[in-house]
Amino acid sequence: MKRLDVAAAAALAALAAYVLFESTKLRAGSFRMPQTGFFPRILGVLLILLTLVELFRALRQPASADAPGKIVSDGWIRIGATLATMLGFAVVLERLGFLLATFFLMVLLLRTIEAPRWPKVFIVSLVASLLSYGLFALLLGVPLPAGILGF
Amino acid sequence: MELLQNFALGLSVALTPMNLLFCFIGALVGTLVGVLPGLGPVGAVAFLLSITFKMEPASAIIMLAGIYYGAMYGGSTTSILINIPGETASVVTCLDGYKMARQGRAGAALGISAFGSFIAGTVGVIGLMLLAPVLGRAALSFGPAEYFALTLTGLTLVAYLSQGSMIKALIMAVLGLIAGTVGMDPISGEERFTYGTLTLRDGFGLVPVAMGLFGIAEVLENLLVRGSQSVYETKIQGLLPNRQDWRDSAAPIARGSALGFFLGILPGPGPVIASFVSYAMEKRLSRYPEKFGTGVIEGVAGPEAANNAATAASFIPLLSLGIPTSAIMALFMGALMIHGIQPGPLFIARYPELFWGFIASMYVGNAMLLILNLPLIGIWVRLLKTPYAILFPLILLFCLIGVYSLNANVAEIVIMLAFGVAGFVLRRFGYEGAPFILAMVLGPIMETSLRQTLLISRGSFAIFLTRPICGVLIGLTVAFLIWPIFMRKKKDA
Repeated sequence: MKRLDVAAAAALAALAAYVLFESTKLRAGSFRMPQTGFFPRILGVLLILLTLVELFRALRQPASADAPGKIVSDGWIRIGATLATMLGFAVVLERLGFLLATFFLMVLLLRTIEAPRWPKVFIVSLVASLLSYGLFALLLGVPLPAGILGF
Repeated sequence: MELLQNFALGLSVALTPMNLLFCFIGALVGTLVGVLPGLGPVGAVAFLLSITFKMEPASAIIMLAGIYYGAMYGGSTTSILINIPGETASVVTCLDGYKMARQGRAGAALGISAFGSFIAGTVGVIGLMLLAPVLGRAALSFGPAEYFALTLTGLTLVAYLSQGSMIKALIMAVLGLIAGTVGMDPISGEERFTYGTLTLRDGFGLVPVAMGLFGIAEVLENLLVRGSQSVYETKIQGLLPNRQDWRDSAAPIARGSALGFFLGILPGPGPVIASFVSYAMEKRLSRYPEKFGTGVIEGVAGPEAANNAATAASFIPLLSLGIPTSAIMALFMGALMIHGIQPGPLFIARYPELFWGFIASMYVGNAMLLILNLPLIGIWVRLLKTPYAILFPLILLFCLIGVYSLNANVAEIVIMLAFGVAGFVLRRFGYEGAPFILAMVLGPIMETSLRQTLLISRGSFAIFLTRPICGVLIGLTVAFLIWPIFMRKKKDA
């Protein structure tokens, strides 16, 4: 846990430095006349201080404090594939249209997360995309992209 | 008398067929969310926020509130039956509730938790009804200095009460404040940190961020460590607690209601803290404290009452001061603001139908939940057996559509996914999302009030100490920050 805590605090300290650097590009004004950059700059300084305190605390803690739960590697694969699928959905949604994109999204997610049999995958995906289309587009009137199917 | 008239006005709003329907949908979805793992009340409210855009403001807030208190009811069902809390406020209910179920008293545990929740929810709503207008009137004299101090105290208190490390919670709060500065400067209108993107001009949207941090991150976490769950197979009979159960539970419910109400007003995870404190209190007051944890009904009745009273009370600071005190209240604020309604001291005077309609709907909703929950417990249990393989893709699908439907903007899906990954990673390192989202919403209020105060005081910070309310609040903030250091020194010594 110690190494992880140190790494997290260090990464956040770097982020804080970046925020501070970015905020110096904005006019800060003075205490009498605070401007756009005033609040972000205060926050940048505050974040640096806090992350340094946390870094210091993490470095001081005993090395073998409770280790995080062991994670099986296929969990990471599942997460990566799930995120990639959702990102892919964002990319193709407006080109393929809502119905097709949702159908493929569901097929891929179902296969990634636990891989039921193919007929079940297709049925669930079909029902989910039709029902969500009905709920959002027809019932709630949300404008969804039509894409190549034309509706 | 005026109160009764107002309440009658509220009933006339809450009892319209449409609002009854939305109240019912909210309570139902809330219970569902509370029962099912993978999506907590914050994620669910964020998701349904996108649906409420086209509704009347009253219907929107009635439905969203239904989700919130519905989830509190639903969460206890899973705590009792499978020892898995549906959401954090039901963690304590596992201790004795699950043991009661193992002893064949699942019915009594579920029953007392439903009745206790109903009684406490009602007490909470009465308190809300009495206190919010008074507080709202008092807040009319607040200036920017008071608002700054109030938000500062609120955020510090949230960090102080957070379950993990206080310093990590403070870091998350500052990160949230920084995220809140993205977009147009609330005073001058200049763009900040937008890097020329149109999507970021109005800042990070509350819904994509909340859904990422609380919806996507939660599912990712579940994908990583997937455990099998078993529903304790027992015949649930006799949902009505017997006379002895009532005798044992009456005082804990009364105490839980009062305690929950007061803790609920404070910023922070009100319902969660309230349930823990109530459990500790009941154990201390009990004639047989050693039996707590083996299946005593007081251990279910007190905390369940406390978390529901706190749920109702947490609306008080939002509706009367315009200050949300938890992640979920931040979303309610977002829901109101989408309709152009600013919660705050003038809210009740300006929108009496909305305020009183909402209050009345909470009575109706609580009664609905009681009727809904007891006979439907069998269905909830069956739903619990929905395989994760189908549940998780559906939750993710709804998150994706929900975010897209807000502005028909694909970039917001990307923002949601980015916050989902960030939330998931940060959570693994012990950084919680709640202070972040709260700070993100409070950020603009805090910045505006700070800058206005400094303009008024000509750059002097003394104003925060010379105005009495400010002085007290700043004093409290300093105390919350110093107290943990002091306590540690004492422990080390």
